[in-house]
Amino acid sequence: MKKNRDIKKAEVKIDMTPMVDVIMLLLTFFMLTSTFKAAESEAVEVSLPQTLYTDTNKVPEQDVMTISVSDKGDVFLDVDNYNIRKSVFGDIFGIGLYHPDTLTKSDIENTGKVGNKDVKRTIVKMNKSQFEDKIRQMKNELRNQKQNPKAEFKVILKGDRDANYGAIEDLITSFNETNTKVFSLVTMIKQEKKE
Amino acid sequence: MSGGDFESTGSGQERGGKKYKKPKAGSVRIDMTPMVDVIMLLLTFFMLTTTLSAPQLMSINLPKGDVNKDRVKLAANNILFIRISDKDNIFVSRGREDGSETPLEKVNINQVSQRIEREYATNADLTLLLRFDRASKYKIMVDVFDEINRAQIKDRRYAIQPMEQKDKDALTAAGG
Repeated sequence: MKKNRDIKKAEVKIDMTPMVDVIMLLLTFFMLTSTFKAAESEAVEVSLPQTLYTDTNKVPEQDVMTISVSDKGDVFLDVDNYNIRKSVFGDIFGIGLYHPDTLTKSDIENTGKVGNKDVKRTIVKMNKSQFEDKIRQMKNELRNQKQNPKAEFKVILKGDRDANYGAIEDLITSFNETNTKVFSLVTMIKQEKKE
Repeated sequence: MSGGDFESTGSGQERGGKKYKKPKAGSVRIDMTPMVDVIMLLLTFFMLTTTLSAPQLMSINLPKGDVNKDRVKLAANNILFIRISDKDNIFVSRGREDGSETPLEKVNINQVSQRIEREYATNADLTLLLRFDRASKYKIMVDVFDEINRAQIKDRRYAIQPMEQKDKDALTAAGG
């Protein structure tokens, strides 16, 4: 009896309820705000430019055609739908590579990397007309899949801030050719005011 | 025997139970430690994976129709040229009625939206013609669109045009 009492007295019980409450709140917050990076968007990593102005809409989740431009002017064509990737590139991990700017050299062909990162995808090289054909093909695939002749991709352009405008100009020409009249530039919100 | 026991304990529990429970075992203590552990793990996971500044979109609408066939005629005095040199400098000039234009004026990127607002105040029918040098940076293009989108003007009309040699010459003459 004596021993038992002694042990009980020595036991310090901390009430964890408030802590658990707070942690639960934090957990809920992070769970709700977190957006998982799609595997596709990580295929090519670019440092996005920053802007003050943005549309209210966020990066869409479905039917996205991502066109990434690396700082060396390599253009990567990717879609989120692997069925379309398979039929267009012949590989579910396929990604199209197009180097429009003749002034600069393709980085990926020399080093196999974009920036310092490997591209863990099956690269399919394209020239201008092939690039445009692939875009048309993707659009047809999407329309067939959705059984909707008006189905459109949300085209997002992820350009590296150090990319040359030349590549973008060629892309815009190709967009005009393929009747892709609406596209969005992906940017990050500028945090600090310009000096 | 057993029945008697039950009766006695049953009645005793009601009275005596209350007495005993209040000081000692009144609250059922659940050991929260494992739960807290798991929640902490989850919290850490979400805190590390979350990217608070999600990428934003800025949409650009190209004019509908065929580029080569569907052309729009603009009055020469309703044009505001914005040219970006290969050194990422921004030059603004207004078209004149006779087809010529005002001298190129170098504008700081921070002042482009104010400049556009000022020009629109004098002529609300302006169309912005954007000509970027191929060697200019994508960042400056995004910055220019940022400024255009932020300018407080009613109709945003702009066109992206290829830069021609005479534009380049004019830019070099104005100081690149």
